[in-house]
Amino acid sequence: MGIEERFSAIRKGLLEFLLLKIIAADKVYAADILKELSRTEFATQEGTLYPLLSKMRREGLLDYEWKESEAGPPRKYYKLTAKGREHLRNTSDYWQKINGTIKGMGPNS
Amino acid sequence: MNKVVTIHLNGTPFQLEEAGYDALRAYLDHAARQLAGNPDRDEIMADIEQAIGDKCRAATNAFRTVVLAKDIEQIIAEMGPVDDGSEKSSRAETTPAGSDPTTHAADNDPAGSGPVKRIYRISEGAMISGVCNGIAAYLNIDPTIMRIIFVLLAFVTLGGMALAYFVLVLLLPSARTPAEKAAAQGAPFTAQEFIRRARAGYYDAVKTFHDKGAHREWRRRFKHEMRAWRRNFRQEMRAHSQQWQADWHASWSQHPGAYRGFWFTLSFLSAVRAVLTFVWIFALLSLLTTGAVFGIALPAGISLWFGLLLLCVAYVLFSAPIRAARHVLLRHGWGGPPCVPALFGLWDVFVWLGFLALLIWLADRYVPQAHQALVNLPPALHHAADSIKHWWAQR
Repeated sequence: MGIEERFSAIRKGLLEFLLLKIIAADKVYAADILKELSRTEFATQEGTLYPLLSKMRREGLLDYEWKESEAGPPRKYYKLTAKGREHLRNTSDYWQKINGTIKGMGPNS
Repeated sequence: MNKVVTIHLNGTPFQLEEAGYDALRAYLDHAARQLAGNPDRDEIMADIEQAIGDKCRAATNAFRTVVLAKDIEQIIAEMGPVDDGSEKSSRAETTPAGSDPTTHAADNDPAGSGPVKRIYRISEGAMISGVCNGIAAYLNIDPTIMRIIFVLLAFVTLGGMALAYFVLVLLLPSARTPAEKAAAQGAPFTAQEFIRRARAGYYDAVKTFHDKGAHREWRRRFKHEMRAWRRNFRQEMRAHSQQWQADWHASWSQHPGAYRGFWFTLSFLSAVRAVLTFVWIFALLSLLTTGAVFGIALPAGISLWFGLLLLCVAYVLFSAPIRAARHVLLRHGWGGPPCVPALFGLWDVFVWLGFLALLIWLADRYVPQAHQALVNLPPALHHAADSIKHWWAQR
């Protein structure tokens, strides 16, 4: 099992965190999110993204608004809610803590 | 020249090549099924349709208005399998880094990832109604082997298996939708799989008979052939059995004193059958209460009710020779004078029941496990009935 595969569950778990970060930066369209992720190890497809976005919206972390586009029907632009921003802060802190723990453990390489 | 299908995706019309349409239809059907129970299903489906629409728009221009099948392949591959993200999220997982999803899912254990495998009748390439085909796909063996096993069993069980076949025809659902077809094969439902099947004309099988006339003609011919085959078979069997009877009488009439052995043999056969029945009942009980037969657990991927079915088949299989021997004895005697079948039949049943009762009593008394199994029987039966009901409700 390669490192890619070993970490697939972890990447999946972290995807929500990354979405929060991306959406926090700017109001984005789903295709923008995919483009941003496509350059990283977290490359994702629509089939995964849409259900996740809708789950996060249901949990009150984000919301969307419709915007006209030059080509085709109006698009959904996502943005964070207050709860989403708080969740992002908490997740960020927790991630820092985990990183610290990993660094502090075992021999330093 | 290819046929074009006009569809609309979330309100915007598109023209698709027919093969592309089939693949897209299968993809969306599966997506909708995957999201069943998700409160936002309709919204997610609309999002997905719109995303596909955007990609279709990018694939066309003023001079090229039709979305080709290969465009759709590309689009489905880009979209990736729809993944509910909740408890069943691990199924059909693809790493975008590009590991091949078909082999990926195939190496995993059948219980874990991969779609839930279920028995369906598969009419593509079926001989009669696809029962053997479906079971073969479920057990992952060659359908021809399954058919041979079925035919052999039908002979050994004196037609019992043929009866079971027709019960299965009624009982097993036919795999109609693409998702059901995938569940029948246990194949992973990924974009690549859709494309492969759409390419292989997998979904064209339904269209083989374009007009009703051809279909009717085919069925008429099939029935005609089956009838002729049955007639032939019966005639041959009758001729053979007369031959066997004659042989049997010829060999036994040389031992006139053997008549006394008749009662003994009949009782012995009944007793053996009682032991078999006892072992069978005990096996059923232990499967119901502990999920294992004499300490041997069912292989993963075979459900409880299928295990029970297998046990029944095994019982019929083992008791068939005894039944056949008793049948011959009762019908044709022991080479001596013809006997009174009703009386012997009654005697036989009494011996069988009596011996069975004795065995169960002994087991209850001296084998703690058997006693435990008997005590556990009512809740176990309840549980089994529930699981069967649950299975029924799921289909």
